[in-house]
Amino acid sequence: MVAWVGQKVLDACHYVWALWELASQALCDLVRPGEQGRRETLRVITRQILFTGVDALPVTTVIALMLGIIIITQAGTQLPRLGAGGLVGSIIVITVIRELGPLVTAIIVVGRSGTAIATELGNMSVGREVVALQLLGIPVARFIVMPRMVGMVAAMICLTLYFDVVAVLGGFLVAKAKLTIPFDAFLEGVTRALSLPDVALTALKPILFGSAVAAVCCHHGLSVRSSYTEVPQQTTRAMINSVTLCLLLDLLITVPTYL
Amino acid sequence: MSRAIELSDVVAGLEPEGQATQLSLAIDPGEFVVLLGPNRAGKSLILEVCAGLVTPQQGRVRVLGEEWVELSDHGRMKLRTRIGTVLQLPGLLSNMTVFNNAALPLRYHRPTLSDRDIDRVVTGHLTALGLAQLRDRFPAQLNPGEIRCAAIARAMVLDQELLLLDDPVAGLDAGTVQRLGEHLANRRQRGPFTVLATLRSYSPFLELADRVAVVREGRIEAIAPRSVIAQTGSAEMSAYFR
Repeated sequence: MVAWVGQKVLDACHYVWALWELASQALCDLVRPGEQGRRETLRVITRQILFTGVDALPVTTVIALMLGIIIITQAGTQLPRLGAGGLVGSIIVITVIRELGPLVTAIIVVGRSGTAIATELGNMSVGREVVALQLLGIPVARFIVMPRMVGMVAAMICLTLYFDVVAVLGGFLVAKAKLTIPFDAFLEGVTRALSLPDVALTALKPILFGSAVAAVCCHHGLSVRSSYTEVPQQTTRAMINSVTLCLLLDLLITVPTYL
Repeated sequence: MSRAIELSDVVAGLEPEGQATQLSLAIDPGEFVVLLGPNRAGKSLILEVCAGLVTPQQGRVRVLGEEWVELSDHGRMKLRTRIGTVLQLPGLLSNMTVFNNAALPLRYHRPTLSDRDIDRVVTGHLTALGLAQLRDRFPAQLNPGEIRCAAIARAMVLDQELLLLDDPVAGLDAGTVQRLGEHLANRRQRGPFTVLATLRSYSPFLELADRVAVVREGRIEAIAPRSVIAQTGSAEMSAYFR
């Protein structure tokens, strides 16, 4: 039993180290881009931003609107009974802007783009496209991993901000229509509850989540070796590990900041 | 002058079968050498060792004057721009058209080259290999022979000094084999251009070779000009020369 636990811990350490290596290599490539392949790399980054960010706008809008409406409906109906009706604005800041915005956006991105990356790279690995790139003298980290990571982080930052705005607006719509809370009071509650750390974390979390999701999905995609049947297996692992890692990062940020 | 390829007492394993390739091989710049032998003889492994994909357990591998094990990552990538390699699975990028696949090395490694120049170089290779009409197709829309030709075009656009081809005629019709031969011959006329290719059966492609190496069970049994091998080889080997 002890040996089994020890092996699992070692495996987890190796896994995290592999992710760190991939992410740090991508960061190095970003900082020192070099002249070679700049145009091609930019093309991949743009495509990744379009796919992860722009194409995800409709689904993000719907989810953010529904979430904002649900939260405000619950808060707006329960809090006045406790004599805390003025805290509706705070609730949306605490739940949406601090936590649910970055997390739900990360889950959307994992479900849409993370799985797509893992599948694409898995198929590329089996089809020996990754080896072919190496043989052409094109570094896989620079051409495949770094652009996807940069694209995903950029898209994640924008999507999170967009998610927050739409969720707050959704909440306001309910507040205005059903709960008769005036917009000014609602907005004042939101701005009063919003602190500088909230804004900073709203920017920091998508950067960390985006990097983590991209690193995990690229790692699993590139881990596929010999068979197409490995692709869905690695994709599933990538999805679960991405969500777990995002939650873990969120925990590591939230607890020291707010506790 | 250093050799284009120099394998000295190389031992490389074939996992999981455990069969090991043990050989020495020297190829001069500008030579055209074909590794000939049955399936699972170790031909592809020799090619992968030369391409720096497989690190041998023993021995030295020197390609275009550089030893793979002594090179940094950057050095390896730089050397690879001087070597064109097409493996059995050519690995065309499935999300790019034939043209964009062939243009990728130029776009990546020659950032100062204009789109017009890239178009000229790539179209030249594609036309020579009979792919001009298929330039806007994706790999999934091609047959295996066309995929192989597109990969060969991609492996030559940087004007590489060395070409490693693993079973280049697999899936190719007779006309395309002839076109490929002519394209390689034209390239050889323009300057030193070394070719190391593998074949597992007779093909007119064999006629292009300066020397033929017979590979069996991981070893080079004989290496000599084609006519010599054809005359002195075993009865079994004669099947490879018709």
